Amino acid sequence: MATTAWTHQRLEQLRQTRVWRSIFRRGPARTNRTLSLAVFGNLGLHVLPVKVREKSLSVRATYYLGSISFFLFVVLTITGILLMFYYHPAVPDAYRDMKDLVYVVSNGVFLRNLHRLAAQAMVVAVFWHMFHVFYRGGYKPPHEFNWVIGVGLLMVTLFLSYTGYLLPWDQLAFWAITVGTNIISYVPVLGRPIRFLLLGGHIIGQNALLRFYVLHCVILPLAAVVLIAMHFWRIQKDGGLTVRDDHE
Amino acid sequence: MSEKKSYDAGLGSDALRQPRRIVFITRNTSAKVKGEVGPQLMSFPHVILRETIAFQVLAIVLVVLALFWDAPLEQLANPLLTPNPAKAPWYFLGLQELLHYFPPLVAGVLLPTLVVLALVVIPYFDVNIEGEPLWAHRSRRRLQIYVGAFAVLSVLFAIYDAWTVLAPTALVGALGLIPYFKSTSNSRFQKFLGSRPLPWWLMTWFIAVALTLTVVGTFFRGPGWSWVWPWR
Amino acid sequence: MPGEPNAPGKPEGKNAVTRRDFFNEIAGGALTIAGLGAAVVTVKYASPNVLFEPPTTFLAGSPDDYPVNSVTYLQDQQVYIVRTDKGMWALSAVCTHLGCITQWKPESDQIACPCHGSKFARTGKVEAGPAPRPLPHFAMGLGEDGVLVVDKLEVVKQTEILKV
Repeated sequence: MATTAWTHQRLEQLRQTRVWRSIFRRGPARTNRTLSLAVFGNLGLHVLPVKVREKSLSVRATYYLGSISFFLFVVLTITGILLMFYYHPAVPDAYRDMKDLVYVVSNGVFLRNLHRLAAQAMVVAVFWHMFHVFYRGGYKPPHEFNWVIGVGLLMVTLFLSYTGYLLPWDQLAFWAITVGTNIISYVPVLGRPIRFLLLGGHIIGQNALLRFYVLHCVILPLAAVVLIAMHFWRIQKDGGLTVRDDHE
Repeated sequence: MSEKKSYDAGLGSDALRQPRRIVFITRNTSAKVKGEVGPQLMSFPHVILRETIAFQVLAIVLVVLALFWDAPLEQLANPLLTPNPAKAPWYFLGLQELLHYFPPLVAGVLLPTLVVLALVVIPYFDVNIEGEPLWAHRSRRRLQIYVGAFAVLSVLFAIYDAWTVLAPTALVGALGLIPYFKSTSNSRFQKFLGSRPLPWWLMTWFIAVALTLTVVGTFFRGPGWSWVWPWR
Repeated sequence: MPGEPNAPGKPEGKNAVTRRDFFNEIAGGALTIAGLGAAVVTVKYASPNVLFEPPTTFLAGSPDDYPVNSVTYLQDQQVYIVRTDKGMWALSAVCTHLGCITQWKPESDQIACPCHGSKFARTGKVEAGPAPRPLPHFAMGLGEDGVLVVDKLEVVKQTEILKV
């Protein structure tokens, strides 16, 4: 008890220092104003609204599917970055690095499993989220454009999963990508040139692996972050989450 | 407010002091959900707390599963040897099953593009906003269009031997007719079906077909994309 | 014109353009051209000029290496060398449906694709399955010393046969 009191006193002293007050200006979030500022004045959190309807917080309202999709994206980013420490996107190395990760690197197999599991889960979550938003009418005005952004996010998610699928460079990866890129060549007029640009050539080889790697690790995650930010911002600006009863 | 409105955010005040006002929201400046407002909570701490808990639950589930479920790693990629069967990732297996029936231009390019376009335009059609039950007026004309569309689709699917698409279409199509013929019924299920609007039926049909195709592509297709029974 | 009491900035005439509009249009046009140019240059950058892919022309030995009425699969090149009593041709082993590698099945006298069940005759003609086109024939000729030369980049008609 005495140590808790002592710790509290030291923390209070710390909070009064000039350095602390130059970083944290708001003060403890106890009053309505400081609680509002905790969200409104925060770089990351101000994409959320200051107040939400109590109904929208229940699990049954949304099953937290949107949040789960976002959290899975965060998990994938973290595990993905860690996996990048051992992976070379080159043709003989890639497969060797996969074996390295699975059999040699400490906790490598766990990290890889986590990444792949989160990827599959994210595709499921994103689809489920879309269906659930549809069935509760969350696309109705004024949320129309947010729905469109959501469809864009669905495409980005699928494309992220697809580009990641090639990276292990095993038989499963190679032939899945072969079938997929051949489908692209059936697009009239632009199909073959798009396939050529995507693969960096005519065959699935070194260039293709590198391009898929860049797409998977840089281009698509950036696109996802931008779209996610717009998606959250739109909800805030449109007045908050929709709940099933709103439109029935 | 009885006093004259002042938009002064205290610019002349001491910079070391906190501002006296956070933000002004004048009327009608942002779109608002026209729903019941109801009781509200502060995002901090209520939303932040719940999201944190959700994240932790998710993390625990993922970690436990990742400890026991190993990701596959097959042999080194060999451009000279196609495995039999060569399957796409599971979320594309529905598409691959569709490719089995229809030409690649249709199944691979046209249909997916149409599906994405259809998804994008959903919020811009009034029929999706109003939410009127499909058979609200028991209109004969609507019934004719419904049966006609169903017949055309069934013929198309039958021509291409696409049974895995035809079956869920027939199922949802039949369910959709129930409220027309049994408009006065006490069954909760039939009352529920009767209140469903057109967009509900279309989406349910889409999900039924996509699910069937994906399940068939995952479990019922073997070497040469031939039909196999998964329990054999 | 000097001396005329003209209000500055407002030109006369129906389709007169102000200086502001003119400069805006010039700037907009310049930015559009710059943007299009940047896009074109980026696409050209992304389109490789040199490819490190295996050569597409190869030697296939002498015609006597292939018995009459046989289908021989060259795995390294993904090409079938077919010889009948009428002559020889080179058939692509890549299925025309979605690019899987086919297999020669002597027991059914067919070339079969494992991916979606397409079946081809030894002429390349589609006999079953979703393949939209027959297997292409590659240009094959006799080089020096009577050695077969196959060029995978040149597709020839199905009816062309190399007489040996």
